[in-house]
Amino acid sequence: MRNILAIARKELSIYFTKPWAYIVFATMVLVSSFFFVASLQSFKQVQELARAFTWARLPPEYAAFKNLTDGVVVQLWSVVRIVTLFVAPFLAMRLFAEEKRQKTFELMMTLPVRPVELVLGKYLGGLGIITATLGLTILFPAAISIFGRSESGSALEWSTVLLGYGGLLLWGATCMAVGMFISSLTESQMLAALLTFAILLPWMLLRGVGQGAEEPLRSIINYLSFDAQLEDMTKGVLNLKSLVFFASVIFFFVVLTQRSVEAQRWA
Amino acid sequence: MQMIEVQNLTKRYRDRVAIDHLTFSVNQGEILGFLGPNGAGKTTTMKILAGYLPASKGTAKVAGFDVFEQPMEVKRRIGYLPEVPPLYPELTVRGYLRLVATLKGVERDRLGGEIDRVASLTGTSQVMDRVIQNLSKGFRQRVGVAQALLNSPPVLILDEPTEGLDPTQRAEVRALIRSLAGKHTVILSTHILPEVTMTCEKVLIIHQGKIVAFDEIKNLAQAYGAGEQVSLEEIFIKLTAA
Repeated sequence: MRNILAIARKELSIYFTKPWAYIVFATMVLVSSFFFVASLQSFKQVQELARAFTWARLPPEYAAFKNLTDGVVVQLWSVVRIVTLFVAPFLAMRLFAEEKRQKTFELMMTLPVRPVELVLGKYLGGLGIITATLGLTILFPAAISIFGRSESGSALEWSTVLLGYGGLLLWGATCMAVGMFISSLTESQMLAALLTFAILLPWMLLRGVGQGAEEPLRSIINYLSFDAQLEDMTKGVLNLKSLVFFASVIFFFVVLTQRSVEAQRWA
Repeated sequence: MQMIEVQNLTKRYRDRVAIDHLTFSVNQGEILGFLGPNGAGKTTTMKILAGYLPASKGTAKVAGFDVFEQPMEVKRRIGYLPEVPPLYPELTVRGYLRLVATLKGVERDRLGGEIDRVASLTGTSQVMDRVIQNLSKGFRQRVGVAQALLNSPPVLILDEPTEGLDPTQRAEVRALIRSLAGKHTVILSTHILPEVTMTCEKVLIIHQGKIVAFDEIKNLAQAYGAGEQVSLEEIFIKLTAA
């Protein structure tokens, strides 16, 4: 455990010296604030329409705009989900590839550290940086809750917001696990980032492919698709099936990484 | 007692044989100079001893433990300086040594003292709080040596520890290695032959993956000098000419 924590701490402190991390932070904040402002504006417009015509006369898809949680935060979370897909590969790419290129991998492999400790330490460090990245987006619901008002008193339904946020963290953790595994296969960080992205994106879009398929293939594809699994969670519905799904994907890729690190001893 | 025992060690990379049936041993407290032209297989042998590379054939034991069967036991007992010092450029020297010391199992309350000890041995005390990427090549090399010395491992595997150092620093590192004799068993590779004469009693010379000489320097001098004064350099050139 001490080894895992020491490695995680090293990973985190190195992350914060890298320009990449700050570019990722800035991208996350800029893109989300753009969408945040945009969805606040649509929220305002729909609310004004509703005041003029009543909710009953508006199209049913406007119903989400009845409150700030569904009208703004849930929308924002689906944007953050996409941004995570783009930035996580750039955070995960260095985990092993950098060690190999700068020859510190040789040090790690000749110190009395078991491969599983190395992998878990690195993964923990990776979780730290993705949590920090996603943590920045909690500013937006916090701003709503400070400045927003609603008839029922509190502007946001925090249970929905936090559950959605938990879904995002789980998604981020999944992206990091996939990225860490790819990073363990190469010395080139850019290649690792691109390959990770090339795996995550189609996996995310799997549901679209499944639409045209026959049953039961359609349900299977749907079950395997990140997008479908995340949908409920971002809406604030706790779905045990999704939780198990993500935990399994993470576990699978962490084990694969451990195997890949172990295999270098046989190379 | 033999601290390093190597038997018929062979490493093949696809079609090329890097080392070919090496057999040698190093006694406790001895310093062995490991010589050979570039590409002779020195680094490969050291990587196998450190448990980083598997051998294709043969066995290697460190402190009685097989490097492949009981890698953790071996790793607890060695300090390894690879050819390229394995440094994290973003960390400070102290942060880096603290990480390595922790991973080597130095207890929390001994960390500070142990780091100070290796820093003063390697003359890196004045750069402890500097970021590694801003250090000169000589200091980086010395931080690499410091890392290997942490937790006083009984066996040290040093791949060209004086590489990149200026003559003064080289003399310092040489003195440091000499001072390790007796307490530590050292296997040391280098290109600089006079250095071996000054630090080691015994040498192992390999050429094209095979052992061409394994003996005490004075015996080699007798055997190849035929009564005349002969330098290690001359012996080396003679043996590796083919």
